[in-house]
Amino acid sequence: MSTSTVSNSGKIKWWGGRISPANVEYGKLMMWFFLISDALTFGAFLISYGTTRFATASWPDPNKVFNAVPGLEGHYPLVYVSIMTFILIVSSVTMVLAVQAGQRLDKKAVVINLVLTIIGGLMFVGCQALEWIHLHHEGAWWGRNPFLNYDGTAASPNFTNYFFTITGFHGFHVSTGILINIIMLIMTLCGTFDKRKSYLMIEKAGLYWHFVDLVWVFVFTCFYLI
Amino acid sequence: MSNELVLHSDVDVINEEFMHHAHGHEHHQPFITKYIFSMDHKMIAKQFLLSGIFWAIIGGLLSVVFRLQLGFPDQSFPILEELLGKKWAPGGHITADAYYALITIHGTVLLFFVLTGGLSGTFANFLIPLQIGARDMASPLMNMLSYWFFFTAGVIMLCSLFLETGPFAGGWQAYPPLSALADASKGSGAGMDYWTISMVLFVVSQLLGGLNYISTVLNLRTKGMSMTRLPLTVWALMLQAVLGVLSFPVLTAGFVLLIFDRHFGTSFYLSDIFVNGVGALSHEGGNAILYQHLFWFLGHPEVYIVILPAMGIVSEVMSVNARKPIFGYTAMIGSMFAIVVLAFLVWAHHMFVTGLNPFLGSIFVLLTLLIAIPSAIKAFNWITTLWKGNNIFRPGMMFAIGFVSLFISGGLTGIFLGNAAIDIHVHDTYFVIAHFHLVMGVAGFFGMFCGIYHWYPKMFGRYMNNTLGDVHFWITLIGAYCIFWPMYYEGMAGMPRRYYTYDTWESFKQFAELNKFISIAAIITFFAQFLFVFNFFYSMYKGRKVRESNPYHSNTLEWTTPINPGHGNWEGDLPEVHRWPYDYNKDGREFVTQVTPVEDGEELH
Amino acid sequence: MENIEYSEAKRSSLKKEVIKVTVILTVVTIIELIMGFIMMDWAEGSFKRHLFKGIIIILMLAKAYYIVAHFMHLGHENKIMKRLIVVPLLIFIWFIIAFLADGHSYLELRSKYDPYSVEMNEKVLPAEHGQHQDAEHHEAEQE
Repeated sequence: MSTSTVSNSGKIKWWGGRISPANVEYGKLMMWFFLISDALTFGAFLISYGTTRFATASWPDPNKVFNAVPGLEGHYPLVYVSIMTFILIVSSVTMVLAVQAGQRLDKKAVVINLVLTIIGGLMFVGCQALEWIHLHHEGAWWGRNPFLNYDGTAASPNFTNYFFTITGFHGFHVSTGILINIIMLIMTLCGTFDKRKSYLMIEKAGLYWHFVDLVWVFVFTCFYLI
Repeated sequence: MSNELVLHSDVDVINEEFMHHAHGHEHHQPFITKYIFSMDHKMIAKQFLLSGIFWAIIGGLLSVVFRLQLGFPDQSFPILEELLGKKWAPGGHITADAYYALITIHGTVLLFFVLTGGLSGTFANFLIPLQIGARDMASPLMNMLSYWFFFTAGVIMLCSLFLETGPFAGGWQAYPPLSALADASKGSGAGMDYWTISMVLFVVSQLLGGLNYISTVLNLRTKGMSMTRLPLTVWALMLQAVLGVLSFPVLTAGFVLLIFDRHFGTSFYLSDIFVNGVGALSHEGGNAILYQHLFWFLGHPEVYIVILPAMGIVSEVMSVNARKPIFGYTAMIGSMFAIVVLAFLVWAHHMFVTGLNPFLGSIFVLLTLLIAIPSAIKAFNWITTLWKGNNIFRPGMMFAIGFVSLFISGGLTGIFLGNAAIDIHVHDTYFVIAHFHLVMGVAGFFGMFCGIYHWYPKMFGRYMNNTLGDVHFWITLIGAYCIFWPMYYEGMAGMPRRYYTYDTWESFKQFAELNKFISIAAIITFFAQFLFVFNFFYSMYKGRKVRESNPYHSNTLEWTTPINPGHGNWEGDLPEVHRWPYDYNKDGREFVTQVTPVEDGEELH
Repeated sequence: MENIEYSEAKRSSLKKEVIKVTVILTVVTIIELIMGFIMMDWAEGSFKRHLFKGIIIILMLAKAYYIVAHFMHLGHENKIMKRLIVVPLLIFIWFIIAFLADGHSYLELRSKYDPYSVEMNEKVLPAEHGQHQDAEHHEAEQE
């Protein structure tokens, strides 16, 4: 029996040792596994939120809570959060472009797209900060919930508790992502990746950034839509 | 992405560095990078081991102190006042608060710091690169950070022991409201803050370590080392890392919510209940059971995180010392996989009496009982490995056999506890204590001892003393059964756990003498462990030197390294693997190492 | 180590993929928002609202699939990598079912055995912050 990585029939033996069965460099593999574990953290938060909702008789209607748009009078439910969602999707797209530029070693395109991604991230965090400030003015905070349930009964503070905790945790991840992207930008500008002839780090940062976007898809749906 | 990138990792840098040093010979590393901030996986393993031993002594000592209370509730021990101070043990009699703090820290320290950090931290770091044929872990830096997070977690936990109000005292699971309200008990204030910070750091350490273990096993196996040629230790250590990576984050989420409840006025776990010492709570809508769900979603995989490495070590040591291939290699892997999957499906069997929906409970009963199948397969395989083997009873082997004994006698009662109908009767009694101490606590320790005695020559280049090892084994095994076996009977009689004193119950007075017996056995067993500690440190400097590179005639790769391997493990090229690791007594040969090429006409196992 | 050669054809196909996925994500989000607007006035707990919520969850999973498969490139990895990532996530199934089921069971237990919590759940407060309460579907069955 041969022990080389390629069998007699010419097929690659992925599990045979010496090569990565997933055909992925170890750092990227670790990043993926880290994201899985982070997905479980967010999953645990969102499932706790769901459990509490299932254990509570009535719940505030998100459309009546999140209905303000800065600079506009009147109630516009879902409008503001849609803007936030689009900002994040667009920043994810620029990140993909940065990763692809990195794969063809196009330093200039990497820089441009990374800058755009960072701007998108900052806009998102800014929007979130504005929303938090607005809610805080309305009297909502951890442990305080001024909003009534949809049926007019008093709501438990868990509505705001979960909202601030989970969006806060997500915002923390976005901020970390921005920080990582800034580091990537500096490293790109310094030519670190050109020297290595590999922009793999950008790919890993990209994975993290897309994950943040992915989590927002869930947070957005769970808090604003249903 | 090209596969060449796969090899372009930090490990290659080490490789080059290693080759460079190999030629340069006399190479002096400064003390601080060689022994303290070392990135060598073997040194990190030893650091984990030493920390584990330190914490095991602390955790064991705590149990001696509270066993004194349980066994001799009316007697006073002036030494306790000396040891714990006037506040905790006035007149040589520990207070109820101190008692609760002791059992809490005993549980936390032994489960997390010794049996998780100490056991898997030591052997995953030590064995994974050596047995798969890698120079080091995929990321040595993260590996080092993993230890230092663990160390910091330990320092913070140690500090909490010296707080004026004492460490956390609400049980190692830290259920709210005791853990959520600073005024609920003495340890719930600063003690709980320290506890939480320490545990969060510990989770970070476990994640850094776990990600590293998994990626290393997947990516850095040497040529020819396919997954079905891995020793069972590596399989077990990788699967426990999978468990850790998937379950610890859930605990983190639970802790974050708990921290908010403690400090930011939220009510995730608190509702409008009345708490003694605090009064009526103004919190609304929380659900303390939610914490229990989140906790046990980690907590159950956690016990497999403890037991899987022990299982792996025992399988390997048993096969080497029985001079026989391990019985049912693929069945072993399969049952470990089954355990990993089931670990995530059964957590609520810890919560049958919380008002869990009975229908949901019945599903959990069913899933729980399924665990008996892979466990039984493993126990059967170990016994069959011993069957008609040329057993060599070195201390490592003794502990391996002891492990199987404990695993069976502790594990069988798990079937009782997994049934909701019986669990409602014995829940939170000494029956549970006996069950998990035998099947997870002492068995985990036996796995650890087994591994230490077996791989000590590889770690330090010297042997441990076998006579002392044998004495240590027999006292520990008999002691463990003397401590925990009677607890089954106490538990069946309904004696509840965690109680400070049983004075007020006429029904438990019959156990006064038995409690005394258990306490004496516990104290003897605890102090017998110093035989091991002495043996460990004495042999490090004075033990018999290892003269041959493969003293056990073992097949695995770690014995193909030099007696005292440097950073990089192998001089020259990495070994190439041609066969599985269990070719003992095959075709008339006593052992065939993994690096031996397959002969013409030879059949693989 | 050789760099991966990027032919123009591959580059444009990648670009096409990004544009396609972006359009899909945008369209799905818009559909979700429209559904959100439509169901806004429907009574909470009604069947059609539940139905819409279910559809929104399915759309959410579809979005997640596109992000993971295309933006995170998992679709282009080999089969082993895909399995390594997807299989562990299956534990979410029982995680979600068991948690939510027990949460619901907790609610039912309290509405059966805890009169105080029932009373608190039914106490209608005067509207604040200019919210208009639509409690019409609620009061009918109480006496």
